[in-house]
Amino acid sequence: MRRILRNNRFWVWVAFLMIFVMAGLYAAFLVFTRGLVVTNLKDLAPWGLWIVVDLSCIGLSAGAFSLSALTYLLGRDFLKPITRIATFIGLLGYSGAMMCLLLDIGRPERFWHGWVFWNVHSMLWEVTMCITFYFLVLVLEVFPMLVELPFLARFKGLRQLGHALHRFTPVLALIGMGLSLLHQSSLGGTYGVVAGRAALYRATMPLLFIVSSVAGGMAFTTQMTLIVQWLKRRILVPRQVLFQVGQMAGMILLVYLYMRFWDSTAGNYGYVPGRSEADTFLSTGTFGLSFWGWEIILGGVVAATLLIGARRLNSIPLLFIGSGLTMAGLIANRWNTTMLAFTQPLSTNPATTVPLTVHYSPSVVEWATALGIVAGLTLLFSLGMRYLPAFRGADPVPAEAPSTTVVANAPATAAPAGGDR
Amino acid sequence: MTEDTGLTATKMQVRRLSRREFLKLLQGLGIGLAAGELLRQQFFALDAPEVQASGGQTDSKQPYWAMSIDLEACIGCYRCVYACQAINDTAEGHLWNILIEDQDTFPKAVFLTRPCMHCENAPCVEVCPVQATYHRPDGLVAMDYDRCIGCRYCMVACPYGVRVFNWQENTAPNPQVPTWGSPEVPRRPRGVPEKCTFCAHRLDAASERGLRPGYDRAATPACCVICPTQARRFGDLRDPNSPVSQAIKGRETVVLRANLGTKPRVFYLLPR
Repeated sequence: MRRILRNNRFWVWVAFLMIFVMAGLYAAFLVFTRGLVVTNLKDLAPWGLWIVVDLSCIGLSAGAFSLSALTYLLGRDFLKPITRIATFIGLLGYSGAMMCLLLDIGRPERFWHGWVFWNVHSMLWEVTMCITFYFLVLVLEVFPMLVELPFLARFKGLRQLGHALHRFTPVLALIGMGLSLLHQSSLGGTYGVVAGRAALYRATMPLLFIVSSVAGGMAFTTQMTLIVQWLKRRILVPRQVLFQVGQMAGMILLVYLYMRFWDSTAGNYGYVPGRSEADTFLSTGTFGLSFWGWEIILGGVVAATLLIGARRLNSIPLLFIGSGLTMAGLIANRWNTTMLAFTQPLSTNPATTVPLTVHYSPSVVEWATALGIVAGLTLLFSLGMRYLPAFRGADPVPAEAPSTTVVANAPATAAPAGGDR
Repeated sequence: MTEDTGLTATKMQVRRLSRREFLKLLQGLGIGLAAGELLRQQFFALDAPEVQASGGQTDSKQPYWAMSIDLEACIGCYRCVYACQAINDTAEGHLWNILIEDQDTFPKAVFLTRPCMHCENAPCVEVCPVQATYHRPDGLVAMDYDRCIGCRYCMVACPYGVRVFNWQENTAPNPQVPTWGSPEVPRRPRGVPEKCTFCAHRLDAASERGLRPGYDRAATPACCVICPTQARRFGDLRDPNSPVSQAIKGRETVVLRANLGTKPRVFYLLPR
C-alpha cells in the first residue's frame, strides 16, 4: 500500500485535491439551488469571502500581462519561459475569479446582462467587459500550448491554428496589457468610488491595486515556478531569470509601499471624517495584526527586502520565502480592505455617530466553495505542469552551465530589473 | 517611376486577395450585424429605462416628488414601518423604512426614520453595471428586477443603507397583513435587492384615478398616509400648496449626509 502511494504521488495529490473540488461542487450546488441565504452575507456586509478570493485571484494573475508585455513588447526574450507559466496561471486565475463572481451574484443565470445592458458609469461594468475580453486574450495565448498535447496530434488543423495564433502573441500581449491596466485598476476603482463607505473612498485605490497586483503577480509566478521545479526536479526557467523577476517584483513592491505610505500619511495629516477613523481602525483595531504583520511588515518590507536580496545572495530559499510573503501580503491587503469596509462600515448609517460593527464571518458553504475553487485551480495547474509539452523543462544541469547563460544574458537583463525605463 | 510600380504592385496584391475574402468578410459582417440587431431588439425591449444613469433632475414642468419627516413630531410608533411592510409585501425583517432612536445629535432624543432618499445624484444608479437601478422620468430611483443580476454593488454604494437583498425566496406570510394594510405590489424574486419606491405604484395610478399625490390618501406613500402625527408629508415640491411644501415652510431642514452631494429627496425638519 505504502509503495503504491509512493509510486503514485501525483495521483495521491490529485485525489487529495479532488476531495476539496467535490466538496466545493456540492457547496456550489447548494448556493445555486437555495440561494445566497446559505452564506453569512448580510445587507450591511453584502460582499465577503468570494470577493476577496476574486480580487486575490485576479491580483495574483497579473504576472501574465506584465511579463507578456516585458517579453513581447519590450523584447526581453529571455523571459519567455516564465511568461508562459505566468500566462497559464493567468488563465486559471481568471477562471477562478469568474467562478467566484458567478457564485456571488444573486441571479447567476443573468451573468450576460453586463454585456448587453451597458452602464458605462459603473466601475463594475468596466470590470465585467475587461475581464471578459482579457479572458479571451488569455485563452488565445494559452491555446498554442494546449494544442501541443500529444493526443491532439492527429488534429492537424488545431496545431496549425495554434501556430497561427502564436504569431499574434505580441498583438495579444498589447491588447492584454491595455485591458489589464484598465481592469486591475478599476477593481480598485470599484471600491475607490464608493463615497458612502469612508474606508474605501480614496482616489488612490486604482493605483494601489494595479501596482500591488503587478508585484504580487510576478512574485506568485516566481513562487509557483520554484515549487514546480522542485517537484519535477527539472528546470523550467533559468535560475537567473527567476532572480530577475523576483527582483523586479521586489522593486515594484517598494514603489507600492512608498505610494501606500503617502496615501495613508496624507490622509491622516488632516482629519477626513470617517476615513481617518477607518485608518485608525485598520492600524490599531481588529485588523491591526493582519495589517501591520501581513500587509506591511512581512508581506511588504520583509518581502521586498528578500526578493531584492535573493539575487545578490544567489539564494533560492530567500527568493521562495520572499515571493511567498508577497503573495500573502497581497491576499491580506484584499482581505483587510474588503473586511474593514464591510464589517466596520464607519459611516454607512447616517444617524449613528459611533462606528457600526457588523458581524460577518464566512459560512461553511462559502469556505467550501472558495477552497473548492482554489483546489480546482491547483489541480488544473498541476495537470498542466505535468502534461503540457510547453512545461516539460530541462534536466538539471551542472552548476557551471547556468552561469554561462547568465553572462550571455547579462547586458540585456539589466534594463527591466531596474524597472525605471 | 519606381514608386508608381510599387503602388500598382500593392494594389494588385490586394485585389487578388480580396474577391472571395472580401465577400466572406461582408457575409460575416452582415450576419454579425443582424445577430446584434436581433439581440438588441430582444433584450433592450425588456423595460429599457430611457433616462440615463446620471442626472435624476426633472424638467421644471414635471413634479418634484419629495418627502418631509418632522423630527419634532415623530413619536417612534413604527406605524410607517409596518404599513410599508404590508403595502409593499416585504419579507420579515426586510425594512424599507428603518427607525432609529438618536439620542446624541439633539438636546432631546429623536426618532429618525429612513426611507430611500431617491437622490438626484444617486450612487446606486451610477454604480449599477446593467442599469437595473435607474432614474424614472419623474426623477424617482426605481429598479428593474428582471434586469438586475444581484451583484449588490448598489448596496455597497448606498450611503444610507436603505437597500435590502432577497437572500432567499420570500414565501412566509406577511406578519403585518392585514393589520396594517394589504399588499399592492408583487413580491420580488430571490437574488435581487429591493428598496423603498416612494410607493411609485400609487403615484403612477394617480392620474388615471383622478387623484393628486400628496393630497389624496390613495395616491400618497403608505407611510405618510398612516402617520398619526403627520410627521411624514409627501408631495410636489414645485407646488407651493402641497403638503410637503407647507410642512417645510418656515422650518429648518437638513438632508442626511449632505457632504456627499447626493441631493436626497427626503428632508428632515429639525426639532424646534
